[in-house]
Amino acid sequence: MARSYLFIPGDVPRMLQNMDVFEADAVIVDFEDAIATHTKDEARDLTRAFITKHHENLPDIYVRVNAVEHDDFMRDIDALFGLDITGIVLPKADTHALKRYRETFEKKGEHPLHLIALIETPRACLDMLAIADYPLVRALMLGGEDLTSALATARTNARTEIATARGLMVLAAAAAGIDSIDTPYPVVDHPEGLQADIAQSVAFGFSAKACIHPNHVDAVNRAFTPSQAAVDEARRILAMHEKTGSTRFSLDGNMIDKPIIERAKNVIKQAGIHGRDLP
Amino acid sequence: MKTIVVGSLESSDCLITLQPADKTTIDIESVVYDAYGKRIRHVIERVLSAHQLTRVHVRCQDKGALDYAIEARLETAIKRHKEVNHGA
Repeated sequence: MARSYLFIPGDVPRMLQNMDVFEADAVIVDFEDAIATHTKDEARDLTRAFITKHHENLPDIYVRVNAVEHDDFMRDIDALFGLDITGIVLPKADTHALKRYRETFEKKGEHPLHLIALIETPRACLDMLAIADYPLVRALMLGGEDLTSALATARTNARTEIATARGLMVLAAAAAGIDSIDTPYPVVDHPEGLQADIAQSVAFGFSAKACIHPNHVDAVNRAFTPSQAAVDEARRILAMHEKTGSTRFSLDGNMIDKPIIERAKNVIKQAGIHGRDLP
Repeated sequence: MKTIVVGSLESSDCLITLQPADKTTIDIESVVYDAYGKRIRHVIERVLSAHQLTRVHVRCQDKGALDYAIEARLETAIKRHKEVNHGA
């Protein structure tokens, strides 16, 4: 259950070699937007060589390939066969792209790698439940910048333009039982804006957030790890639940029922996964 | 015959320049030449040999690249060289 997904360009050795020191739970090696058309072959060869030779103690690795309709899509997939990676990030994901992706592997007699479906078109937003239900899809990720462009609007500090997509994504992912990953904060050096954006991601109910810069990782990890106060509160709820044997009781004047008990269990689980001290 | 350039002069990278030539020659410029010059030459020779390339000039401007990066940059250069100069 990753909290942070850090994009790093596939054609920069310094970034590949440091992928384990950025402290992101997962990295997404980019073959798409971060790579110029004339250097995509360099990114493929460099990434393949790096993962082949330096595969120990690395975080979960995903690769964002080019979209299925792009000339480089097949070259990207060919470069990844046999590599020890966690999965693929598929841009411009929709039901047609998912079908093409699956068929690509089937034609080669290979088992398809798991996917993070990058949702960045209005149609995909309206098809999110079908995409989330697709068997290969392990998470949905929001591509806020492309979606904003497709809507012919401008990015705002309040991110109003992507609010509907954010809500739909969290619902679709939860309904399908998979993770939802919020779009990265697009400004590298604006800590206040970053914190406000991360707070929105958490409030919407996302499981994790993408990052475009290593400096964003720590704030994202902290925000998606339950606070000590939340852990303490969850412990008290579960202790009272155990003591009373009931799924309906009062604690400090607040009514506690089954959904709140389930949330408390989830807080303890999350805290355990991400290393908060649990006696 | 076209000259191929791959990589960069950024830290931990190298810039590989590949040109057709009458025989194989290798020039290495490296910030760590005294310690790693022989090793870099060995990596380049190994990749050229694997591709059975014997008539090229390779210039490697190294900025502290690890072996995998030098190999990958040269691999890309050779693929482009074959496409451009031999239509492969």
